[in-house]
Amino acid sequence: METLIKTAAARAVALTKIYGAGEAAVRALDRVTAEFPRERFTAIMGPSGSGKSTLMHCLAGLDQPSSGQVFLGDLELGSLSDTQLTVLRRERVGFIFQSFNLLPTLSVAENIALPLLLSGRKPDRSWLDTVIGIVRLGDRLSHRPSELSGGQQQRVAVARALASQPEIIFADEPTGNLDSRSGAQLLGFLRQTVSELGQTVVMVTHDPAAAAAADSVTFLADGRIAGDLPHPGADAILDRLKQLGEREA
Amino acid sequence: MLPVTMKNLWARRRRLTGMVVAIGLGVAFLAGALTLGDTLSANFNQLFSTATSGISVVVRSATTVSGGVTGDRPPIPASLAAAVRRVPGVAAAQPSITGAAELLGSDGKAIGKLGPPRSAGNWISDPALSPYRLAAGRAPQGLHEVVIDRSAATTGKLSIGSVTTALTPALVRVRVVGLATFGTANSFGGAPYTAFSLAGAQRYLTTKPGQVSAIEVSAAPGVSPGTLAGRLDRVLPPGVQAITGTELTQQNLSALNSEFLSALRIFLVIFAGIALLVAAFSIASTFGILVAQRTKEAALLRTVGATRRQVLTGVLAEALTVGAAGSILGLLGGLGIAELLKGLFDSFGFALPAAGLVVSPGSVIVSLVAGIVVTVGVSIIPAVRASRVAPLEALRESAAEPAGPRRRRAITGLALAVAGLAVVLAGLSGSGNKVLTVVGLGAVVLTAGFVVLGPAVARPVTGALGRPLAAWRGVTGTLARRSAQRSPRRTAAAATALAIGVAVVTLFTVYAASLRAADINGVTDSFTGDIAISADGFGGGGSGGGISLAFGRSVSKVPGVRTVSGLVKGQAEVGGRSADVTAVIPATIGAVLDLRPVTGSIRTLTRDQIAVSQVEANDRGWRMGSRVGLVLPDGTRESVTVGAIYTSRNLAGDTVLPVSLWAPHTLQLTASEIFVKLAPGTNVAAAQAAITRAAAGYGKPTVEDHAAFVASAGKPVSMFLGLVYVLLVLAIVIAVFGIANTLSLSVYERTREIGLLRAVGETRAQTRSMVRLESVLVSVFGTVGGLGLGTFLGWALAQAGAKAEGLATFALPGGQLVLIVILGAVAGIVAAIRPAGRAARLPLLAAIATE
Repeated sequence: METLIKTAAARAVALTKIYGAGEAAVRALDRVTAEFPRERFTAIMGPSGSGKSTLMHCLAGLDQPSSGQVFLGDLELGSLSDTQLTVLRRERVGFIFQSFNLLPTLSVAENIALPLLLSGRKPDRSWLDTVIGIVRLGDRLSHRPSELSGGQQQRVAVARALASQPEIIFADEPTGNLDSRSGAQLLGFLRQTVSELGQTVVMVTHDPAAAAAADSVTFLADGRIAGDLPHPGADAILDRLKQLGEREA
Repeated sequence: MLPVTMKNLWARRRRLTGMVVAIGLGVAFLAGALTLGDTLSANFNQLFSTATSGISVVVRSATTVSGGVTGDRPPIPASLAAAVRRVPGVAAAQPSITGAAELLGSDGKAIGKLGPPRSAGNWISDPALSPYRLAAGRAPQGLHEVVIDRSAATTGKLSIGSVTTALTPALVRVRVVGLATFGTANSFGGAPYTAFSLAGAQRYLTTKPGQVSAIEVSAAPGVSPGTLAGRLDRVLPPGVQAITGTELTQQNLSALNSEFLSALRIFLVIFAGIALLVAAFSIASTFGILVAQRTKEAALLRTVGATRRQVLTGVLAEALTVGAAGSILGLLGGLGIAELLKGLFDSFGFALPAAGLVVSPGSVIVSLVAGIVVTVGVSIIPAVRASRVAPLEALRESAAEPAGPRRRRAITGLALAVAGLAVVLAGLSGSGNKVLTVVGLGAVVLTAGFVVLGPAVARPVTGALGRPLAAWRGVTGTLARRSAQRSPRRTAAAATALAIGVAVVTLFTVYAASLRAADINGVTDSFTGDIAISADGFGGGGSGGGISLAFGRSVSKVPGVRTVSGLVKGQAEVGGRSADVTAVIPATIGAVLDLRPVTGSIRTLTRDQIAVSQVEANDRGWRMGSRVGLVLPDGTRESVTVGAIYTSRNLAGDTVLPVSLWAPHTLQLTASEIFVKLAPGTNVAAAQAAITRAAAGYGKPTVEDHAAFVASAGKPVSMFLGLVYVLLVLAIVIAVFGIANTLSLSVYERTREIGLLRAVGETRAQTRSMVRLESVLVSVFGTVGGLGLGTFLGWALAQAGAKAEGLATFALPGGQLVLIVILGAVAGIVAAIRPAGRAARLPLLAAIATE
């Protein structure tokens, strides 16, 4: 009952994205309708070319759909200007990319506070301390990214994503470049943000082990939703992926 | 390897465009300077050849007192013409009188501008003996008729039948009866020419009867000019010579060359050199980036099996292509610049025959080679670096500069800078003519040290300069500052290009300010009169820019005028050397001009004495009573003694004679300045107005009160400075290109970072601001550096000048220096326009794509 009253953190309604024109047109997304509930860790999975990254980009306001609507909470993104979208990303959305998350000329502390610095706001010190505590980087604050390992860099990215106290965090293959141990650690942090801080995390991944850390997995194939799995295990995910692959073939 | 290189070049053509433009601009300047020199040379050649085209031989005095183009020779007896005509082989011989006269236009103002001299003479109808052709009307008869050139007629709004005045310097009412062309042109290079009849010319343009300037001879068919000249020489008295028309043209041309053309050429080529230097730095920074970006590619090539030499030649081949493309474009652009500069000349009154530009193969080759050599030279070090890259680099992400042997560079740069400084200071503590050379050498070494030091100080200095940015613009400012600091070699190269341009501008500004201050101080100190009357043009005396003495007499009749005394300028041979001299009336000059005599007094100079400046006396080793040999303009030799030594050289120059010594021997007596002292209590403004009214009939010379006259003493320097600034704007433009280039490539390199920033919430406006701030920071870095270097060198130059010339002032033009800093910042903003726009418009998704 509660879930019906709460609006979804992010919503896509009949979302379509077409690249190119005429004969060379590619339908990356084909009338996708999906909801991503609050305080949940959702994974989006699918074979390459399924449109999962495109879906995330549209949800996050990084890309414009060809048709359909995108909602962040109650706010429809289609009517916003570039500056408004930018401010939205700054204040209400957190990002973690697969690699190259950090600015090499800024220190760890500055990278974490980046969205806040961009908006000219005075960072909330106690919140930043909490966030830094969660990712356990208190001893690395003055270092430059080049002095950190891959796993540590991703943790800084997580801290930054949390810094502005966003409504939703989007993660694009966050464990893609990490070894299995750092990857598992990172997924643990992401889980923590959901269970302890009440964040909403939407993660795009192709790794079944990573998806298994999520509360539910939404599958995408050929630009369309292909079902979802709540509380999946890695095996179940693998099976489902195989099915999707066979369907394509 | 070559097809790969060419393919790469084409793919990157947009990025290389910036470099091509930078080199193009530098080469354009060089090509323009060289072409202008060639064109002027050829044009003057043509002018002078036309002037003597039909003349086979010229009979003239063998003595010459001044070596200039307008140098007057003593006159020869007119009776020689009869003897000349009797020589076998002579087809025709005509006496020719060359003098100077100012013709007044219908508005009462003298016709002619600053450049060419205003000449007059007798009309020669024989087409073989005169380049002037009657285009309308008839030849002059009687004493008061003249033929003038078409140009002068147009400028002065005169036509056949107009009655006007010629200042010869005596005022002569004349009627225009004919208009002439010089060959097919409207005038001799823009110089006004007034032709009297022979009788009129003899009356007004010579001082003694029966004298002419030369006799022009045409040879009978079959007789060569050389042979005729030889025959004539045998019948001519000593002191009179016969030279062929060709020889005369050569002499005139070489005089023009040494007086004017070669100095102009050197001036232009120096500026072209500066432009090329700035272009070299601009390219250096761009090349460095391109090579760094292609480290991965080079490494890949190496893994795939390309040898080091192949990679090296690949990069050099690129440089060669860029250099060639830029040089060719620059050559074309240079022709445009030459046209522009030619137009500048026209505005000064030199109407060159519209024969178009002369493009000599030598200049073309030099320009092309210079451009290519500079580009390839600049690319050698990055090319070598690229070839040394290890194949493993292909797999790494590093885009930052290697820390490198920074300390070695810093030490070398510091050593050079200190050495240069020491040489400059050592030079200044010396004396004599060597001072300038030593100081110049020190300046070069200091600049070299400065340049080497650049990358070593780039990080700390941009850090310091950029500190307020963080407070002022938040994280955008911080990012800009860190970005500038991150690649010091690149930042320094781009900044150095601007620094050199700024340093040269500052150098001239500071030096000129000191000169102007010295001039103004000098005039303030020495001019004690109330009103000054001065003529336009290149001084008074022979070149026809003088004030009639009759005017001086009429000024003395104006109520309130107590003393009128002026300066008559000319050239004579003093102690064996050609020198500018000034003649004064010793009894009255003291009332209006204080020459500050150290020994002796001007007032008591007798007819056989001269006064010299302290500087001249030191230079020549003269003292009070020293005997000096003089050769006056009419060839007379006199032996005089030094009767006074003075220090104030601003208005009267280095050598002063009493007018009683000068007047009998000069060809035409005009004053270059007339000074007036009023009786105490007289209203200065009223007297000035009265004098101005009187001036109306004498060609309207400039009448100024004390303050205005002092102020105008600074004008020649200001004019020179104006020209310098126009030329230097180009160097600055090239430097700005370099900064824009560097920034563009840096933006491209940071595509992913910028994408990340935009994703995380940096607006487009913030992105533009970030790039712009970095650009301004780099520009200000270069500007401040150039300002410091330029100010120091300007001071050193002023001091060196003080040693050699007796100037003793240093003026720091604070306002202008602040303006230069502001302009530097503006240059940064301008340079950032395109890169900032591009950064803001980066397609977000492409930038953050993981592939």
